[in-house]
Amino acid sequence: MIGSIALYKNKILRMVYAQKEGIHPSAVKNLKVMEHIDRNTLIDETKYVVIDTELTGLDLKKGSIVSIGAVKMVGGRIDLGDIFYRLVNPETELTGQSIVIHGITPSDVVEMPVIDTALSELLDFCGNDIIVGHFVSIDLNFINREMKRLYGFPVQNPAVDTYMIHEWVRQNDGDFSRHYGGMSEDADLFSMANKYRLLMSSAHNALNDAFVTAQLFQRFISFLLRFGVNTLGDLLRIGRP
Amino acid sequence: MIIEDVISFLGKVPPFQFLDEPTLRAVASSASMEFYPKGAIILSQDGPPSKYLRVIQKGGVKVFIKSDEDEEIVIDYRSEGDSFGFLSLVGGDRSRANVLAVEDTVCYRIGRDAVMKLLDSNPSFTEYFLKSFLNKYIDKTYKEMHNRSLLYGGGDKLLFTTPVGELATKKVVTESQDISIEEAARIMASHKISSLVLLDIEGLPVGIVTDRDLREKVVARGRSVVDPIKDIMSIPLIRVEARDYCFEALLKMIRYNIHHLLVIDEGRLKGIVTNHDLMMLQGTSPISVARDIESQQTIEGLIPVSKKISRIIALLLKEGAKASNITRIITEINDRLVRKILEIAERKYGQPPVPYCWIVFGSEGRKEQTFKTDQDNAIIYDDPKTKEEEGAAGEYFTEFTIYIKDALVRCGFPLCPADYMASNPRWCQPIKVWKEYFTRWINTPTPDAILFSVIFFDFRPVHGDFNLAERLKNYLTQILKNQNVFLAHMANMTVRHRPPLGFFKTFVVEKSGEHKNELNLKLRGIGPLIDIIRLFSLEKGVTETSTLERLDALRDKHSVVMEFGDELEHAFEFITLLRIHHQFEQIEAGIEPDNFINPNKLSNLEKKTLKEACQLISKIQDLIIEQYRPGLVTE
Repeated sequence: MIGSIALYKNKILRMVYAQKEGIHPSAVKNLKVMEHIDRNTLIDETKYVVIDTELTGLDLKKGSIVSIGAVKMVGGRIDLGDIFYRLVNPETELTGQSIVIHGITPSDVVEMPVIDTALSELLDFCGNDIIVGHFVSIDLNFINREMKRLYGFPVQNPAVDTYMIHEWVRQNDGDFSRHYGGMSEDADLFSMANKYRLLMSSAHNALNDAFVTAQLFQRFISFLLRFGVNTLGDLLRIGRP
Repeated sequence: MIIEDVISFLGKVPPFQFLDEPTLRAVASSASMEFYPKGAIILSQDGPPSKYLRVIQKGGVKVFIKSDEDEEIVIDYRSEGDSFGFLSLVGGDRSRANVLAVEDTVCYRIGRDAVMKLLDSNPSFTEYFLKSFLNKYIDKTYKEMHNRSLLYGGGDKLLFTTPVGELATKKVVTESQDISIEEAARIMASHKISSLVLLDIEGLPVGIVTDRDLREKVVARGRSVVDPIKDIMSIPLIRVEARDYCFEALLKMIRYNIHHLLVIDEGRLKGIVTNHDLMMLQGTSPISVARDIESQQTIEGLIPVSKKISRIIALLLKEGAKASNITRIITEINDRLVRKILEIAERKYGQPPVPYCWIVFGSEGRKEQTFKTDQDNAIIYDDPKTKEEEGAAGEYFTEFTIYIKDALVRCGFPLCPADYMASNPRWCQPIKVWKEYFTRWINTPTPDAILFSVIFFDFRPVHGDFNLAERLKNYLTQILKNQNVFLAHMANMTVRHRPPLGFFKTFVVEKSGEHKNELNLKLRGIGPLIDIIRLFSLEKGVTETSTLERLDALRDKHSVVMEFGDELEHAFEFITLLRIHHQFEQIEAGIEPDNFINPNKLSNLEKKTLKEACQLISKIQDLIIEQYRPGLVTE
């Protein structure tokens, strides 16, 4: 949400960090994201970056990031060539439970860089785009934990949550529900993918899930415009994580 | 991974399958993925040029154009693996058709630069598009196709999408109708033109004179060239509106046997369109076949001409014509062929002792012929006034009809196995006998009588004294009033063949024999539709015979058609086109055409549409059972 509070916070941060030296250039750039965002941009012309992370566990204190996937969109169009995928050597141990979910084993990541490199690369990939994710606050919590540790501040890009949009659509947009013969009852990405007939790879990883999330977002874009959600400002209001 | 999925999809789709892996990967990486919900317009007619080629990953689209009268002309349905936007992309001109998502559709969108690069560097890719896209629209040889300027010129001149106005010769030479023949000829010679339009005092076009007129009406007859030109000019002028599609112009030329049409734009003369212009547009031409028929004087001469008719169907299919447009042209040409044979016979046997009318029925009667079908014809002749006349008529028509039957066979119309032909004395009768037949069939609806009704009540005059057919038709309408028992018998026949409903689950197709697991399109699709519409027409006194014309006439008369008119029309068009395509493929492969298709070989979109059509037919049959109570009839 780029409300006045967010802008104010960003302003303070920039004042503080203008003095500091040795900050990673990618992070410096991220502080200026707000300058490039116009709330009046139409949602089908806005640039988005759809992200997903795989974690060793959901507990913010114990878990950490194993992989990050992201795809780019312009309005409802997914750019197939512009993708981001990094495996990360996690600080915490890969538990048996998480290995089952994402199939990433310790030997897969032991040679991988630690999160520091991946994070600055992610910032570069995100550029000035709007972050989109399914239950995106979970991903952002983990990303921001590392951001604060490394740079002292969270990711500055505004974000929208496809789950929140789905809930808004459930309450406000009868057309969408009619078109698909009702809304998805379950909130998880897999159920939504089935309900809205999204393309899924058999492999379950951060990139493929980001791609599925992008398609989910794509379905919304084509209906939201007809439903009075026209500008980025409108979208940020209904999709706030 | 995402790109791998795109590569593996494109790798199975022509023409991308001809590309090597690195090229395919580059294309996939440059592409983006779009989603269009069912009902979304993807490209609009007259919209800006398309900058992208779109490949359908999932779903399906309808490519269509809208005429000025808001009539929708469907050019094509495209489904998974098909692409669209190519012509406008390479041509760089405005988009010529609307593209509408008929299902939720996912497309891969490939940019113009990437496509151009592929066209430049991959001959097999280029060849595919040239053949499958451009060849659909302009019938030129591949060599010419390869010509860059043509490719970039965007010459997708379609018979069905090009308004006549675009072809009309820019400048028309006009003159007052009061000049002499000699002056007219001089003007034509000095302008090097083959036709001259003549105006009245107010400057409005009243006639046209062509090279042919000068040849046939002046030189051949030794007429004086000082005579006024208006004595030999052709009137009335056949006109066509500038916004009409070339198809309409073509139809008029065939119908009136002319090769010049005046093109009128908002009431003013815009130009002239000639058969030559249309031929240039499309290569082989239906009109050249029609004219060829016209110029023949013997049955021997007609035989090679009649063979060209299936080539015309091929051409029309390539152009993406609708089924009804194909059958309209074929009917027009077949009618001419039959008329020509009758004229030749009349010359051989002399004028008949009593006026007669040659009628056709079955698919010929309904103007729904495609490839050559069995002969279905009869003769109605005027009631003889004396015994002598009666004898003379019997004698004359016996020889006459046998001659025609043989001539038709030689021109590719096989004999009717059930002998519904004028050569059968039973079907060559004076009008009073026909009236007796009709009365008997309706009053005593035995199974045979119902069968005859179904066949003969679709009759239509083709040659001779049309008044006789008109009288019989009026009589039929009159005696059909309030014949509920007869209609119930007809209804019974109408619901006897149900379309396969469980189609894609249980596959109701032929269970055994030569056509096991195939679907009989005629028996289970087109037949029931024709029967339904005939039943409604007979009930409501609609005199048209073609299924689509009947449907049109029934729209404000019959409650079922009021509600389902559009759906019925689409179902009929679709199944007919499916059948034409199927038979055409068989003929091309040198196989005897039949009506059996294997549903597994259809695209998903075709399957879906066919399924919907079958459901519709079944629904209407249920309504018929409810309304006409055919169950109460005992056979």
